[in-house]
Amino acid sequence: MSEMAGKLFSWVNSRLPIVNTFERHLSKHPVPSKVNFWYLFGALAAVTLIIQIVSGIWLIMPYSNTEEQAFSSIEYIMRDVDYGWVIRYIHTTGASLFFAVVYLHMFRGLLYGSYQKPKELVWIFGCTIYLAMMAEGFLGYVLPYGQMSYWGAQVIISLFGAIPYIGESLELWVRGDYYISGITVSRFFALHVVALPLVLIALVFLHLVALHEVGAGNPEGVDIEEYLDDDGVPLDSVPFFPYKVLNALVAIGVFMTVFSIIMFFFPEGGGYFIEMANFQEANPLVTPEHIAPVWYYAPFYTMLRAIPDPLGGLIVMAAAVAIFFVVPWLDRSKVASIRYKGIFSKIALTMFGVSFLTLGYLGTVGVTEIRKTMSVICTIIYFAYFLLMPIYTKYESTKEVPKRL
Amino acid sequence: MNKTLINSRNFLSIFCILASALLLNNSMAAEGGPCKDYGECDNFKYSLNDIESLQRGASTYINYCYGCHSLQYSRWGRVATDLQIPEDIFFENLVFDKTIKPGDLMTGSMPAEESAKWFGVAPPDLTLVSRYKGDDWIYSYLRAYYEDASKQYGVNNLVYPGTAMPNVLMALQGNQRLICKDIPVIAQNGGEKRDELGNPVTKEKCGFLEVEEGTGQLNKEEFDSLIYDLTNFLVYVGEPSKATRERIGWYVVFYFLIFTALSSLLYREYHKDYNH
Repeated sequence: MSEMAGKLFSWVNSRLPIVNTFERHLSKHPVPSKVNFWYLFGALAAVTLIIQIVSGIWLIMPYSNTEEQAFSSIEYIMRDVDYGWVIRYIHTTGASLFFAVVYLHMFRGLLYGSYQKPKELVWIFGCTIYLAMMAEGFLGYVLPYGQMSYWGAQVIISLFGAIPYIGESLELWVRGDYYISGITVSRFFALHVVALPLVLIALVFLHLVALHEVGAGNPEGVDIEEYLDDDGVPLDSVPFFPYKVLNALVAIGVFMTVFSIIMFFFPEGGGYFIEMANFQEANPLVTPEHIAPVWYYAPFYTMLRAIPDPLGGLIVMAAAVAIFFVVPWLDRSKVASIRYKGIFSKIALTMFGVSFLTLGYLGTVGVTEIRKTMSVICTIIYFAYFLLMPIYTKYESTKEVPKRL
Repeated sequence: MNKTLINSRNFLSIFCILASALLLNNSMAAEGGPCKDYGECDNFKYSLNDIESLQRGASTYINYCYGCHSLQYSRWGRVATDLQIPEDIFFENLVFDKTIKPGDLMTGSMPAEESAKWFGVAPPDLTLVSRYKGDDWIYSYLRAYYEDASKQYGVNNLVYPGTAMPNVLMALQGNQRLICKDIPVIAQNGGEKRDELGNPVTKEKCGFLEVEEGTGQLNKEEFDSLIYDLTNFLVYVGEPSKATRERIGWYVVFYFLIFTALSSLLYREYHKDYNH
């Protein structure tokens, strides 16, 4: 029997590079031997993506994508489907935590220069994943068809209307109707469950292929490819299995603990993960007291609100995301890691982090005069971090990077 | 690395001080809370394992509220099962329409169009009210009615000024009024302020709720406990699986803690290979 299985395996393997691919990309893939916790969020993002896909498939089964039944089908899932509430809370908690780990993963990139040559493409694929995630999250948020789904969609879709000349017809084209309706819900459903997941999976694949081509980074910014052993394996590396896998396993354990604490005890996340107003069915005649986006869009929403002109706001918001794509060419530093960069890089990154968090907070609360001023200041700091990067990274004095990890 | 941390920490603290100063400033000019004229909502702590409280709440709901407010996502039989009421007793005492079957939704008995004519607005479905308004809000709202002759039903509400709902529980609660009271002025040192003769200095303050004695069937404690049970029931109806969720949550968290502990032991063992 086992001989048969062995024969069958070698028959397949000589036609499909199973062992080769497995060894090259998983079991024997060399990864830097010394990394810190910041390097675990990529693995966690992959885990969350899988969680979202699997829980999403099960949610599609009882969900109804019509105007009349979208909202009540969610309550049907929460009440009548056996353990439907578990599946739904996994998906809502997963959405927020997906963004949380991706934000931390991106911050790691800025911290240790994970975009520097030759990792530009890895970074660009990553930015595209983030962009696709933003779209995916927005589309999914509309599906329960609660008040916040409706009015959030209203705000976001009307952004298209701010584009000169084609704005209005574009808005109509996206919505598929003169106002948000069942038509909008069902097309968003198609995009959310088929189109964008395909895009996301393809991008994640490219992100990983590109990463494996150039090799993973490390917090020292040392190029481990410089010192190889006789077999051509970097001296400062360990094989992916079991070392990196076990490391990730610990991270997954911690992550899943946090995940289950949230989903079983605080599934609404204090109104940040599931907004209270979204427990009311969409009502085109009643505007909620204040329309706030979910926390992961809040920083960009604040920028939109900070600019009085709608088109200007849209441009600033789009630029805030787009600017990530060119970071590899903005950083002129000789060193990759913040550990060896100069004081200005450290100040700039700190200011950036704090302004991003402040923008996030401001996006979830109402507008007052002081908050508006703060939004403008933080938006300026946000862009200054990127736009001044070519200057401060080029002229600041950096420290010597060690040769080995 | 340490140096980086110290630097960022300095900047972080400066920013935090700056930010908190601004936020403090803002909170003082805050837009009124969810409980409006009532001030802070009263704190409500649900107890979904207190089945008797839920049973009393369900009974109050069906007798006093269900005539106007449906629970359209909830099913009769599910409520009976979750609240451990034998189905025959449940259907005999709490379900007035004898054609209803256990699997039916609690869709209410009042036609929405007619009721919109009678009340100016159709009474909303309350299945999810505890989720979009919050339990604190419900608990405060139902106890904040007061006499106001200028209104259609002779009552108004501090939590929801101008509410379209009459105080259906008035016979139980009694006639609640808004009164003014003389309250002691607090001096700068934190104690009660007194004049030269040692008498406490008082100031009249209005907006206190007080029930006219002897007008209701229940005293204050009994009425509060009735509203507690009712709110508790609405918390249950808002999310029937909540008690189960919080119960099995402990097991799941415990599982992942063990998982983390074991995997980190394994990781440490393998880590020795390359890190001495």
